[in-house]
Amino acid sequence: MTGAVTITIANRGGASFLVDPKKPLLASLEAQGVSLPYGCKYGGCITCAAKLLHGEIDQQAAVALNNKQLRDGYVLLCVARPKSDCTLDVGVDSHDKLYRNPFAEPLKQDELKADIATQPEETR
Amino acid sequence: MPDECCGPGYASPAAAMQAPREKLLYTIAIYVGTGIEKPDYLATIDADPDSATYSKVISRLEMPGIGDELHHMGWNACSSCHDDAEMERKFLIVPGVRSSNLHIVDCATDPRNPKLHKIIDGAEIKAATNLSAPHTVHCLRSDIIISMLGDAQGNPPGGFLHLDKDFNILGRWENDLGGMKFNYDFWYQPRHNVMVSSEWAGPNTFMPGFDLEEVGHLKYGRELHFWDFEKKAVKETFYLGEDGLVPLEVRFHHDPDSSHGFVGAALSSNIIHWWKDDGDWKWEKVIDVSNEKHPEWPIPLPGMITVILLSMDDKYLYFCNWLHGDIRQYDISDPHNPVLTGQVWMGGLLGKAPLVNGHKITGGPQMIQLSLDGKRLYVTTSLFSTWDNQFYPEIRENGGCMVMVNCDTENGGMDIDEDFFVDFGKEPNGPSRCHETRYPGGDCTSDIFL
Ligand code: FES
Repeated sequence: MTGAVTITIANRGGASFLVDPKKPLLASLEAQGVSLPYGCKYGGCITCAAKLLHGEIDQQAAVALNNKQLRDGYVLLCVARPKSDCTLDVGVDSHDKLYRNPFAEPLKQDELKADIATQPEETR
Repeated sequence: MPDECCGPGYASPAAAMQAPREKLLYTIAIYVGTGIEKPDYLATIDADPDSATYSKVISRLEMPGIGDELHHMGWNACSSCHDDAEMERKFLIVPGVRSSNLHIVDCATDPRNPKLHKIIDGAEIKAATNLSAPHTVHCLRSDIIISMLGDAQGNPPGGFLHLDKDFNILGRWENDLGGMKFNYDFWYQPRHNVMVSSEWAGPNTFMPGFDLEEVGHLKYGRELHFWDFEKKAVKETFYLGEDGLVPLEVRFHHDPDSSHGFVGAALSSNIIHWWKDDGDWKWEKVIDVSNEKHPEWPIPLPGMITVILLSMDDKYLYFCNWLHGDIRQYDISDPHNPVLTGQVWMGGLLGKAPLVNGHKITGGPQMIQLSLDGKRLYVTTSLFSTWDNQFYPEIRENGGCMVMVNCDTENGGMDIDEDFFVDFGKEPNGPSRCHETRYPGGDCTSDIFL
């Protein structure tokens, strides 16, 4: 595989896999026998969310993640393509920061999903 | 009077109330969002108090795939084809909201042990209709209509899937969505040639979880649609505004002559009533549940009315405040002026009833189903996997549960039964979460009378 990158799954004993950077990670990892949760497979439902610990990912179609989740390192494996070697935590065990009670911790304007987020006044 | 017809269901709501007591319950249970890599399943629960396995799950029908998120379901036939001897209430149509798969389950051959009859693949539905995220299933004579909450890419407004009685895809049911922005639940009242549909949000919005700010950005619904049922076209839309944020369950009176109906606005935590007045549809807010201040949270907590239900005789309205933790019973003999007649607490975020009859409750009262005679209300605690994870994260370890509430149909009033408790935290594959319930003989949210 030309240009293959290495994906390491930290919370599955550091298992590593060589994958094609042009393909979504969910498809590549499933093809190599990694069992992962998924739902819509188009970036709309966050069932497949994983936490990126190191590396760079391209996930333009990840419309379901808000800016806070993105800043916390979440990637949607069904639409995420690696731009470098990456280390991830996968599955529900990686979802500690994915869910918030919105009445206890409301999002700030700049933490909303990209299509409705606004920048805070001072940095505009 | 013995029934002269031999089709499914009952000649009238009054006849339905005379039916034998429900002995089995079908309830969906999910593993989506729990971290347990197992399929969701249909649980059959023994509801016969004289049985040795009363209040226990007696069989489990696993779906073939993982990750469906089973949610609501409906019968292939109901009282709407009572006069048709060819029809039989035999199959439950059990959609996966996330996968868009429709599971057709045979509940009649062996009612204690339902079997999968057929699957309609979500990919096939998307390809044929550009619709996804199936929700409410209603039948009308031989037709089956399913509200679909998004297009194939998860964007609103979705539409309605039309199946024939053999579960072939006929295409999209509707001719004209009008200005409908979102889809959710629906109910029809054929004698008034009307269908009413409500609005949740696009799948890409509600699937990842709930954010208050998205309501302000108009990503959630606040309108109610009145359809010309025969023309399959939206005829009139009511903007409910702040009083009707996120209108969910739609219930007409069971009496087929009545034009009265109700919808619960989840986020506003209001009950909206509609009726026909001199040929014109009117609406009004009849119940307003106040937000409650949580000592540690900056934003007041709404009740979050995620379900409402009418008794078969249209005398009582029941609903749950999933976040506050109470179930309420109102006498709606005068639908303009509901009177609170009963209230019980279980779980919820206000800490009012963490234990019920010695059982720990995780989550709040959510889906409800009432017996045909109106005396037993079955209540489950999980709403939707991602929303559960936001509001009740401990449900991952504890699972959901089902309780039974005894309802006084004469004077009003409710109390939680001490002997009936189904703990989905102790399921063989690990803690699961239970949602909608149906009975083999029909129930208070499935049957429509012509
Ligand atoms: S599977 Fe739905 S976002 Fe990835």
